[in-house]
Amino acid sequence: MFFLAGLLCFCSFALRAQTDFPPADKSPMDMSYFPANFPLLKIQDKVSGPPVVRVIYSRPRKEGRLIFGGLITYGQVWRLGANEATEIEFYQPVTIGDKKIPAGRYTLYAIVNENSWTFIVNRDNDSWGAFKYDAAMDVVRVDVPAEQLTEPVELLSMSFTGSNTAIKLVVAWENSKAALPINF
Amino acid sequence: MKITTPLFSLLLLVAVAGCKEKPKEPNTGPYTLRPDSMIVPNTGAMNTYASVDLSPMDMSYFPVDYTKLKMAGNVVDPPVARVIYSRPHLAKRHLFHDLLKYEEPWRLGANEATEIDFYKPVTIQDKKVLPGRYIIYCIPHSDTWTIVLNSNIDSWGLRQDPSKDIQRFTIPITSGNPLQEYFTMVFEKTDKGANLLMAWDNVLAKLPIEF
Repeated sequence: MFFLAGLLCFCSFALRAQTDFPPADKSPMDMSYFPANFPLLKIQDKVSGPPVVRVIYSRPRKEGRLIFGGLITYGQVWRLGANEATEIEFYQPVTIGDKKIPAGRYTLYAIVNENSWTFIVNRDNDSWGAFKYDAAMDVVRVDVPAEQLTEPVELLSMSFTGSNTAIKLVVAWENSKAALPINF
Repeated sequence: MKITTPLFSLLLLVAVAGCKEKPKEPNTGPYTLRPDSMIVPNTGAMNTYASVDLSPMDMSYFPVDYTKLKMAGNVVDPPVARVIYSRPHLAKRHLFHDLLKYEEPWRLGANEATEIDFYKPVTIQDKKVLPGRYIIYCIPHSDTWTIVLNSNIDSWGLRQDPSKDIQRFTIPITSGNPLQEYFTMVFEKTDKGANLLMAWDNVLAKLPIEF
């Protein structure tokens, strides 16, 4: 009897453990490479060698909310995404804002203001959001102008533009767009 | 309450499936459509910067929820492993009638090849695996899956290059498990390390990792 009860208990626990798998995130994760669409180019043998950079970020939706100056306070460090901290990986040494940065994985934050953004490259990886942001771990901070968009962008979006040795990580959400220059 | 989210997803999917309209061509510039990934219907605001994947990407760490534990100050060591994968959903399809074929490689996800990072040396089925990044894919058989670690990182999941296989493992699978609408990869702690759980439909596979 006890055995049966125990078994039943175990089964219900096992069942619960399995149905408690994580649901799909409300803010889907995504990645962008430079060169753009690198993984697709790779399986078509159109690229050789590694990519230059990739970013992994989660994409919150605007959903009718006021984002900049509302959900995201001007002048405060923002995780530039959702959920896990946004990460940027350089496959080769790069230069950002006069700072030489060794190849490797970094965490990316931003401070948004009405007319400018500050991008922050930080080396405290595998973090959640910006809740434990530590300025002592900053690698570089770069101030860039913000561009006002006429067409609002519903989901936070990131992609790389440029070519050869100078590219930009373009970030757009709501009515604001900013670009982080990366040289290599 | 728990039923609402899946139910909503299902309704959304039915709505999406019912709408036969082809996804729009990409608007301008270098932002190309991903060929095997449907686009979420336009919800009013244009997005010319990066299209939105129907199969959302996700990541799982071991220790489970490592990033949240770190935020709470509850971990000091680096993580042991992390997997980054995209999560296709069944959308009324059957796993082994409509989606996967036995003996044919499957990317264990969608879109970009699924990747796994080991932050320290691990042992899988008595084989040593060095720290680093691998792509991971699977060859399903009726009662087992072959799990492959491969060095062809940063690739799209549709074409594997077996010449870059590092290790292959055969693991048993079980069916009849609770139904998972979204493909799910997650770690669970074991006495010797952790299992990487791979669950979709009612199928569950576990890759035992020792460290």
